[in-house]
Amino acid sequence: MKGTILRGSLSGGLEVRLDIGENIEEIKVGTFCVVEGRTHDFFSMVVDEDIEAANPKAFYETLSDNPLLNEVVRGTGIIDKVKIQPMIAIRREDNKVQPVKSIPSYLSRVREAREEDVFKIFGRPDRTHFHVGSPLDMDHIPVCIDLKKFIERSNGIFGKSGTGKTFYTRIMLCGMIKSGLCNVLVFDMHSEYGWEGEDEDETRKKAKGLKQLFGSKVAIFTLDPESSRNRGVHPDFVVEIPYRSIEAEDIVMVREELNLNPTALEVIYVLQKHLGQDWLITFLNMDAFAIEEFAENTGAHAGALQALQRKLFRLQKLPFIKENPADDAVERIMQYLDSGMNVVLEFGHQRSMLAYMLVANILTRRIHELYVKRSEKALGGMQSNNTPLVIVIEEAHKFLSPEMSRQTIFGMIAREMRKYNVTLLVVDQRPSGIDPEVMSQLGTKIVALLTEEKDIESVLCGVNNAKMLRNVLASLDTKQQAIIMGHAVPMPVVIRTRTYDETFYKEITKDEDDAFRRRLLPRLNQVPSTGTFANGAGADEPPPGKEFEDLMKELYGL
Amino acid sequence: MIGEIIESRTAEFVAEAVRYDQVPAYGSFVRVNDGELRVYGIVSGAYTGSLDGMSKAKAFFKSIHELKMEQPQIFELLRTEFSCVVVGYAQHGRYHPYYPPTHVSLHLPVEMAGDDEVLVISQHIGFLEKTLNSPAGNGEELTAAAIRTAARLHPDPREYIVRVGRELLKMLNYDTQRLKSILERVDIT
Repeated sequence: MKGTILRGSLSGGLEVRLDIGENIEEIKVGTFCVVEGRTHDFFSMVVDEDIEAANPKAFYETLSDNPLLNEVVRGTGIIDKVKIQPMIAIRREDNKVQPVKSIPSYLSRVREAREEDVFKIFGRPDRTHFHVGSPLDMDHIPVCIDLKKFIERSNGIFGKSGTGKTFYTRIMLCGMIKSGLCNVLVFDMHSEYGWEGEDEDETRKKAKGLKQLFGSKVAIFTLDPESSRNRGVHPDFVVEIPYRSIEAEDIVMVREELNLNPTALEVIYVLQKHLGQDWLITFLNMDAFAIEEFAENTGAHAGALQALQRKLFRLQKLPFIKENPADDAVERIMQYLDSGMNVVLEFGHQRSMLAYMLVANILTRRIHELYVKRSEKALGGMQSNNTPLVIVIEEAHKFLSPEMSRQTIFGMIAREMRKYNVTLLVVDQRPSGIDPEVMSQLGTKIVALLTEEKDIESVLCGVNNAKMLRNVLASLDTKQQAIIMGHAVPMPVVIRTRTYDETFYKEITKDEDDAFRRRLLPRLNQVPSTGTFANGAGADEPPPGKEFEDLMKELYGL
Repeated sequence: MIGEIIESRTAEFVAEAVRYDQVPAYGSFVRVNDGELRVYGIVSGAYTGSLDGMSKAKAFFKSIHELKMEQPQIFELLRTEFSCVVVGYAQHGRYHPYYPPTHVSLHLPVEMAGDDEVLVISQHIGFLEKTLNSPAGNGEELTAAAIRTAARLHPDPREYIVRVGRELLKMLNYDTQRLKSILERVDIT
């Protein structure tokens, strides 16, 4: 793409007249280009294309019968025009990156971005700059996300169903895990991240899961051990939720799934108030007389109580809710996270929205509480700062709908951002269902094709030049194309995402073990309960012949 | 030598042909050496009439061959003059695509310009402006003829025509209809 600036404005974008001989058909919306102004380079994105005639009469005169005339007129009387939006400016003198506050002068040259331009803006791949894909039509050039910035805030991955959200999520998870900048907790509704997942690509069929790629760095927790075993997965831990950890708030969140009316919700608060922590199991075990007695004592309506009890019986059908579970899932998750591992919680056959929301909410609430305490301690100087945690949730609009987002823990995490070192990575296909306030707080958004007008509007909420990006969003390919915008990238960019295949596996697992050991072992030594090992000879070095798995066994009896 | 200048203006000169039946082609390039200057023009029209300019030739209704046998004297009474638009001049070996400081003197001999000279002149697309605004009022026709002449000498005539056409379109204020009518007359294949 070569051309010159024809006209434009800061607010409305710039129009580029393509040089004669340039083929507009080859220039795709979303292409990354550079305007070489007099003192600044303006890094821009193609947002629209257009044909214009210097003299509009030219359109209507039949030119097709004379090829010579057509050739003359094309590019002179009738020009191909590309609309671009400058996103970022670099002063050539000192390579200073600035937001765009001016426009390039008339007749400035426009060209396609080159490798060095991409590096200048997005950085070169390294530990904290994760290669996520390449700009359109520049397949060999890596575009990097700044992972440090990425995990600073809550982020979103959006796209219509079938556009590869799962793959983008996998790629981002790999990046985060590899970098070691944060720990990851995935609420894996469809059990596709931990172990093998399906790949729609005929030649590959299977996509490797995180456990396969990162081995001992990832622990698989499951709600449905049978399903896990059937898929050939050896879960590290089977999660059971005690009744006592279910609070009124959790029930409120799944009220639609349980079909509860507002009265029922009020009754729940009454129950919790009078029955205390064991309210749910006590209530479920009440017979008709007990309910009436309770109603009399508290002034609640017996009919409403009975109706509520019938509805709450559904919870008893969830096999993972136990009266006295053998182990505390939250403690286990924290233990794993503390030792630098990442946790994928598989739902197996328990993929109903009810189970997913209930479990995700209960676990996240407690984990969040712990993180808040730790952050406060860290502030008070009593503890070193803890590693940030990224929680991945799917079907996020259920948790973050405008009605819900104020009550659920997820809404809170999305809003308070990085204060407590816990952020979200929300994966969703209906971003319009998410509270606009939450959407605007999301730091980085990775958006695949969206066609619904409302969805496009909602992902562009809080983004500069949103109007311009609309076209770009609607014209993405259905596969392997996404636009990344927000905090972790200096400017919005359309990328062809990396292919999740052998090459990717190789690259992501390269010198994996060494780096991991270096990071992990000193920490393990700090865990107080590991006295046997910490006091052992050569605490800084792994004992000869001991693999990490063995260490874990020794530590946790796994 | 193909003629002698008998009338001269800044933008145009008229020459009498050496022989009444030997005129340079319409749209061809000619040159006049005037002291240090070598002025170039494009033949923009020709006229053949009686020597005195007053009386008119008379029709005999015979073939030229018969006439030459039977009435040889009438050919001696004819004269041909041709007009040229000035497109530029060369001085000290450098071509300037604009009018010379002074118009050409009378009675100077007119010669055909060499191919290499035509190539140089036609590289400066500005000559089209002179032909387009030819005082004779036949601008489009003359422009087409001049492009024809020049294009033949270029290694890639089509490429040249396209390049010239683009400039021409701007001169024509992006009037594609007029451009079309000119280019249709440049039938180089």
